[in-house]
Amino acid sequence: MSVAIETRALAKRFGGLVALDGVDLKVEAGETLGIIGVNGAGKTTLMNCICGLYRPDAGDVFVAGEQVTGQPPHVVAHRGVGRTFQVPRVFRKMSLIDNLLVPVLDHRASDAELIGRAEAMLERMRLIELRHNHAEELSGGQQKLLEMARMLMPDPSIVLLDEPFAGVHPLLCKFMIDRIEEMTRAGKAVLLISHDLTSIYRLSARVVALNQGRVIAEGGVDAIRDNPAVIEAYLGM
Amino acid sequence: MALSSRTLEPADRIYFTLAALIGGVLLVYFASVPLLGGNLAFHFYLMLWITMASAFNVAAGFAGYLPFGYVAFYGVGAFTTAILVKKAAIPIFLALPLAGVAGLMLALLFAPTLRLSGIYFGIVNLALAGVCRLAITNMPDWLTGGSFGLQLGSRAEPVHSFYMMMAVMVAALATILWLARSRLGKALRATRDDPDAADMMGVNVPRIRLYGWLISAVFPAICGGIEAWYTNVVDTETAFNTLITAKTVIYAVAGGLGTVTGPVVGAVAMVWLDELIWRRFPLLNLLILGVATVALVLFLPRGIVGTLLRRKPQWRRYVP
Amino acid sequence: MGLLILNGLANGLIVGGIYALVGVSLTLLYGVLRVVNFAHGEFVIAGSFLAFALFSGLGVPPLLALPVAAVTFFAAGWALYYVLIPRLALSDDPELMSFLMFYGVSIAAAALMLLLFGADSRSIDDTFSPVSVPLGPIYVSTARLVALGITAVLSLALAWFLFRTLPGKALRAAIMNREAIQIMGVDIVRLSAFAFALATALAGVTGVLIALVFPAFNPFSGAEYTIIAFIVVVLGGLGNPMGALLAGVIYGLAEQMATVFLPQAMAQIVGFAILIGTIFFRPSGILGTRMRR
Repeated sequence: MSVAIETRALAKRFGGLVALDGVDLKVEAGETLGIIGVNGAGKTTLMNCICGLYRPDAGDVFVAGEQVTGQPPHVVAHRGVGRTFQVPRVFRKMSLIDNLLVPVLDHRASDAELIGRAEAMLERMRLIELRHNHAEELSGGQQKLLEMARMLMPDPSIVLLDEPFAGVHPLLCKFMIDRIEEMTRAGKAVLLISHDLTSIYRLSARVVALNQGRVIAEGGVDAIRDNPAVIEAYLGM
Repeated sequence: MALSSRTLEPADRIYFTLAALIGGVLLVYFASVPLLGGNLAFHFYLMLWITMASAFNVAAGFAGYLPFGYVAFYGVGAFTTAILVKKAAIPIFLALPLAGVAGLMLALLFAPTLRLSGIYFGIVNLALAGVCRLAITNMPDWLTGGSFGLQLGSRAEPVHSFYMMMAVMVAALATILWLARSRLGKALRATRDDPDAADMMGVNVPRIRLYGWLISAVFPAICGGIEAWYTNVVDTETAFNTLITAKTVIYAVAGGLGTVTGPVVGAVAMVWLDELIWRRFPLLNLLILGVATVALVLFLPRGIVGTLLRRKPQWRRYVP
Repeated sequence: MGLLILNGLANGLIVGGIYALVGVSLTLLYGVLRVVNFAHGEFVIAGSFLAFALFSGLGVPPLLALPVAAVTFFAAGWALYYVLIPRLALSDDPELMSFLMFYGVSIAAAALMLLLFGADSRSIDDTFSPVSVPLGPIYVSTARLVALGITAVLSLALAWFLFRTLPGKALRAAIMNREAIQIMGVDIVRLSAFAFALATALAGVTGVLIALVFPAFNPFSGAEYTIIAFIVVVLGGLGNPMGALLAGVIYGLAEQMATVFLPQAMAQIVGFAILIGTIFFRPSGILGTRMRR
């Protein structure tokens, strides 16, 4: 099993605020790693540092064995990393199809092929009827699905999901969980941030708990669930 | 791009037919103006504004920048053309493309400002245009003609420059039509909508922005050159007039940024309005322009075409 | 040379004070409303024209024109707010739309002044005697000295208002965090209207002072002042009133000293250079931005 994502001693601060304080992390191909922690624990900052949106103040990020610390997001994306955002960041004034085409614009395939793939993806996400609508016309849940579809278009081997279930209807949650399980079965490495502990425990084999920018617990689902440090962090907030 | 490798969906066929129709009508209409003795000046400037507004649309509508110093490209193009023709005896047909190159070079010079956000970019761009104007004003008189400006030739050639303007207008519209459907166009619009998300989707944001910016710089520079040819004179007052940016921005916004037909509709509507008002109330011209802009922003912020498409989103696929 | 430098310093302070006020009004507007007032220069020059009209038409001395300008511009600002701003908030991109809208306002305002007063440069002359006053080795025009005094008083009054009175503190709070202040029960609409009216009044008053300090103005002088306002605002930090005051003085001094040491052409570029330099190297301004973006 190869290491898909690795961070070493990752640190990031914003002025006086320490967001990440030395985080070591490993995600293997075909594995889903869950990240939990209260608000402000550093989860999204961690993800942003991995994918290149933030430049870490210290430490390193490795993706598929290559060092990508501080590289711009499009470089990291080309190493096979895909990502969704906590609040959906779809391209509001572009059609659904166009949204899906953006990640594959530099692929050699013909327009017809790419459009075909995009339509197939929209079918799977049950958004095909709205394919020519502008993304801003979608509901919140639909936008989350669109983001997921968009992320999957270039078939990334590493997937970063930031709170995919936040504010999502339970039926849609089930749908998304199925899609995520598909990803793991396909051999992708998945890094999953979520407040929804049930989904995390279902999808992840391993879980990392963050608090105040540090890893306070790491291990199997059951171990984390009963970990006193984790319980205290959640209750003591 | 989308034309070669797949059979066109009916919607696309309508789209391109409409585009061809509009282009054809414009071509036939303008081509016939000199032949039928129509108002050359009015139609020349109408074509100029259509081109300027469309090129501005690339920067604003597609790439998401509001260059409030857009006139810098125009002025530099005008002076480059005049200097090449008058001082270096270069034929106009060579000078005009070189004016375009001058626009490109200026755009490259301004490129570091592209990473600034909306307002900052707008203000800095305005300041940079001011610097350009100052620089040219302070160049030696033997080069730029000082306060009298430069005269290109012994006499103006209105008909030749008219047809050149027409050719450039068609070229500009064709370029924007291509851009609207091309992969570069999609990358640009994604960058406009959400630069970080676009970056995360593999779009090389700085490079894409640069391409869009360069494209938007070529046409105003050439326009400046053609207008210099048309009027046969160039000076800093008229070549760097802030009203040029103002009208370009307003006409483009009036029609609707982000569509191909928007700026055309906007330019036609506003130039026509301007002509109408100017005939009746020559003194109120500027005031009405200002009030019209405010009214547009308040009541029709997406422009004529933009608002229409908002009401009827299903038409979006058919309207270029 | 020494005399030139002293003159430069004196003028720099006087002009700097004016620039400071121009900047403060714009920064208040941006800080509270997130509105980019492209017409700011025109508002200021409108004040100058008001002073001119009062003086040449009714013989009102400029000093009296100050309160008149303050009141009329405050009322005008209040009205203008309710006409223009509420619809703006509904659009997709209020900041950029405000940019465009005030662009239109600036054109309309310049056109209006052009219609009312014509294109000629106007000035208000000889309103004080003696015309100039010796200050050590140099002579300074009395009008300018008076203007400097008024500027200083206004700045102090403004500082006192912002830091010691409740509405002033509310304004500063709104600049720092617009959302939070609404949660605390402040009527953001009325506060914004007040900020707009205050900024407009300040602009008008500054215009009167400009009529005292500068030799001439015309309807198109507004554009110059808009750029100056932006430079001062960026230099002082967006939304930072104290920063704007400081930045204005610094910029005024820099500009005047530049004319002493550099050829005319170069001196004009100083302003642009400061603007571009600040945005690239210290975008939060010399005192830093006060507000959350």
